[in-house]
Amino acid sequence: MHQMNPVNFSINGRPMRAAPGETVLSVARRNDIPIPTLCHHEALTSQGSCRLCVVEVSWGDRSKLVTSCIYTPYEEDRIETDTPRVRTLRRLVIELLLARCPNVDVLQRLGWEYGVKPGRLAPEDGRGKERCILCGLCVRVCDEVVGQHAIGYEGRGVERRITTPFNDHAAACIGCGACVYVCPTSALHYEDVENVRIMKEFQTRVELAQCRQCGRRYAPAVLIEKVTRCAQTKEDDRHLCPACRRRTFAERMSAWMQKQLPDARANGDRLDVTTRAGG
Amino acid sequence: MMHKCPEQLAAVRKRARARQNHARPRILVGAATCGLASGAGPVLEALRAAAATGAEEMEITETGCNGACYLEPIVEAVLPGKTRVMYGHVKPGDAPMIIQATVNGTVYEERALCRVDADEILLEDVVAPYRRNGLDAALERIVARDAHPFFRSQRHIAMRNCGVIDPASLEEYVARGGYAGAAKALLEMRPESIIEAIKRSGLRGRGGGGFPTGRKWEACRKAPGEPKYVICNADEGDPGAYMDRAIIEGDPHSIIEGMIIGSYAIGAHLGYIYVRQEYPLAVRRLRLALQQAEEAGFLGTDIFGSGHEFTIQINRGAGAFVCGESTALMASLEGRVGEPRAKYIHTVEFGLWNKPSCLNNVETWNNVPAIIQRGADWYAGIGTTGSKGTKVFSLVGSAKRAGLVEVPMGVSLREVVEEIGGGVTEGRTLKAIQTGGPSGGCIPATLLDVPVDYESLGALGSMMGSGGLVVMDNRTCMVDVARYFTAFLKEESCGKCVPCREGSAHMLDVLTRICEGAGRAEDIPLLEELSVVMTDGSLCALGGSAPNPVLSTLKYFRNEYQAHIDEHRCPAGVCKALLTYRIVAEDCSGCDACVDACPSGAISGDYSEAHVIDESLCARCGLCVPACPQGAIILQ
Repeated sequence: MHQMNPVNFSINGRPMRAAPGETVLSVARRNDIPIPTLCHHEALTSQGSCRLCVVEVSWGDRSKLVTSCIYTPYEEDRIETDTPRVRTLRRLVIELLLARCPNVDVLQRLGWEYGVKPGRLAPEDGRGKERCILCGLCVRVCDEVVGQHAIGYEGRGVERRITTPFNDHAAACIGCGACVYVCPTSALHYEDVENVRIMKEFQTRVELAQCRQCGRRYAPAVLIEKVTRCAQTKEDDRHLCPACRRRTFAERMSAWMQKQLPDARANGDRLDVTTRAGG
Repeated sequence: MMHKCPEQLAAVRKRARARQNHARPRILVGAATCGLASGAGPVLEALRAAAATGAEEMEITETGCNGACYLEPIVEAVLPGKTRVMYGHVKPGDAPMIIQATVNGTVYEERALCRVDADEILLEDVVAPYRRNGLDAALERIVARDAHPFFRSQRHIAMRNCGVIDPASLEEYVARGGYAGAAKALLEMRPESIIEAIKRSGLRGRGGGGFPTGRKWEACRKAPGEPKYVICNADEGDPGAYMDRAIIEGDPHSIIEGMIIGSYAIGAHLGYIYVRQEYPLAVRRLRLALQQAEEAGFLGTDIFGSGHEFTIQINRGAGAFVCGESTALMASLEGRVGEPRAKYIHTVEFGLWNKPSCLNNVETWNNVPAIIQRGADWYAGIGTTGSKGTKVFSLVGSAKRAGLVEVPMGVSLREVVEEIGGGVTEGRTLKAIQTGGPSGGCIPATLLDVPVDYESLGALGSMMGSGGLVVMDNRTCMVDVARYFTAFLKEESCGKCVPCREGSAHMLDVLTRICEGAGRAEDIPLLEELSVVMTDGSLCALGGSAPNPVLSTLKYFRNEYQAHIDEHRCPAGVCKALLTYRIVAEDCSGCDACVDACPSGAISGDYSEAHVIDESLCARCGLCVPACPQGAIILQ
């Protein structure tokens, strides 16, 4: 079987060592070798769909392009990250993405870097107003990290879209905003309006819980429930907004210090605030 | 009954063969999808009705497709002790005459195609000639099948039982040597020696990839991990290709037997057949065959008393072309969305549910029993150095004799198209052959002498693929062909990776604008660049091979692209936007016939004066051309 032991190979002529199962991208990043990516996130499973991270691998007198985010090297592979073939492919991929999403700044920057000539692939049928590059990071973060599976794909080919089941309010969405956070092209947004969080692209509204102290609507109630369950947050802190929580914490700590300080000074000790004050 | 040892199997075979030894006349009706579509159903009913009125006992059964789809509905009559007669284009009205002729031991010449003089049992290397006692003059007059242009240069190995046996009868399959290969493999051979035999036979994947089957089996056997799976890919989706369908519909047990042998060689105990739901008859035939094989003990525990355990499940594909790609197929089997993944780690190591999995195509599995029974050397003796055995092609398009053709690897494309297929429709000339389905390419008529094998077709920028052969004549526009296949692939792209998803859509935009006369000078280099990104950058073979139709037509028919772009002209007269219909004033009698024929009111002119066509209204339907008694309307 492939890779039970560390693998010795090279990137751009530099000898490298990959841990068993480690990808070329991971080794490159550890060694400050730049490789552009759009659909990769280290917290998520790689799917190799944006094709921007291609590198050229040679063995003997043969070579091929592989996606570095999923390719795990073999012994003595020679990897090159910036050959003409690699640059051509990246340029064309960026050109295709720019034709789909002309107003996305991360693509514009990449287009400039790789010398994409603008305007050649002017879409003729209304494609082009899009911001979503279908990298699927939002779908994966919702599945793999949040564990809610609230969004997925619909359709195939250029008609493929990321949406909720039946294009309707997603009952599974907890309004955590991980999808918005992870999106590389700012295609997703949410907005808090009065007592609801609106996931703008997903026809989904989630009720915001009220802070028991200041009364502010500060986070989705279902999200708080989930976080409480997972992180076993203290009962008293559960219903406070971040600002009030910080203030209560400070007040508690201050009260404790007031009590401890005279004794400590008398004994010449240092106060151990880290372990006890918050508790 | 259960067949727990080869002796029992042999006894069944003997009994079945004795029963078939044609004591009474037998009539076979080709009732595969192609036959049924041409009207085999009513023919079958009419034959049964006609036979019921007669005194003589007669057996009338369904059979699969023998490949001559252009002659459907096909009926064969076995005349005991004499010969077998094949009829084509049979209509229900012919039934009484066919029955009468069969009862009388002669032939109804009106619909007779050819005479089969010997029954070949391929698996046992037996050719049993019919006794040909007392053939009358009419029977003697019919051409023998070995001399019939469609059949004479074919060699049926994969199709050994298609159109010969009743696919719903396990007994008939056994009678022709079926399951003896599985018995031999399980009882007399070690898994390693089976793999060695498959390697030595030179069998390569028939689904398109052409990977050596024995090497795949060996890698899967050696891969660590349990359980292992064998999978049959019956998700045949290339437009115009239906080899696998015909094999399943005509000989379902051959696939099951191949998988039993494969499972034993690899060490798998569960197999899947992934068959597309659009093949309802194939699904039905497979289900019945599986049930029969289970009841007979060919599937289940302790097969033939060898201790080997194996069962097969059927999964139906829901109509995505990409699910014919092995990793997408496996994702679909697992109940996930059928999308491919990169194959840097092979499916023989991490396949279905991340376990070692051996996936082969229908035709590949079907060849296995023949190799085991007749031996690797026999199989390796057929074909070329790199491509062994035979290949079934579906010959479609403008071929005169369209159908399924099985020929040894290495025969020339010319032989297939011109000799077997009879060339193109009268009055036209052969222009190109499209091989390998949407991922294949177009080979021009000038290169027709290329041998049909994996390497030669690949070298021309096309591919063997699963075996589609579309014959194109001079009325085919090659830009339009490229546009058609690109549209198909754009529609079927799953959308996972950027090059295939976006690239195919842009490629289609460019091709459409060329076909509509709005092509630009820079469009050809643009198509070439889009091809680079798709070939080099796509995640799976669907995207990687999607530019082949464009690249091969650019390679061999570049002048057609240029005519569209530079001269706004479609040389084949196909692309509507580039056609102009014109009335030659001198020839026009002003009879108004064209005015009546034109559905868009584009033709005007006073009676008995020369008429004119208003181009802005003309829909380019061409209806005016045959309507004109003077032949005054021309196409430019």
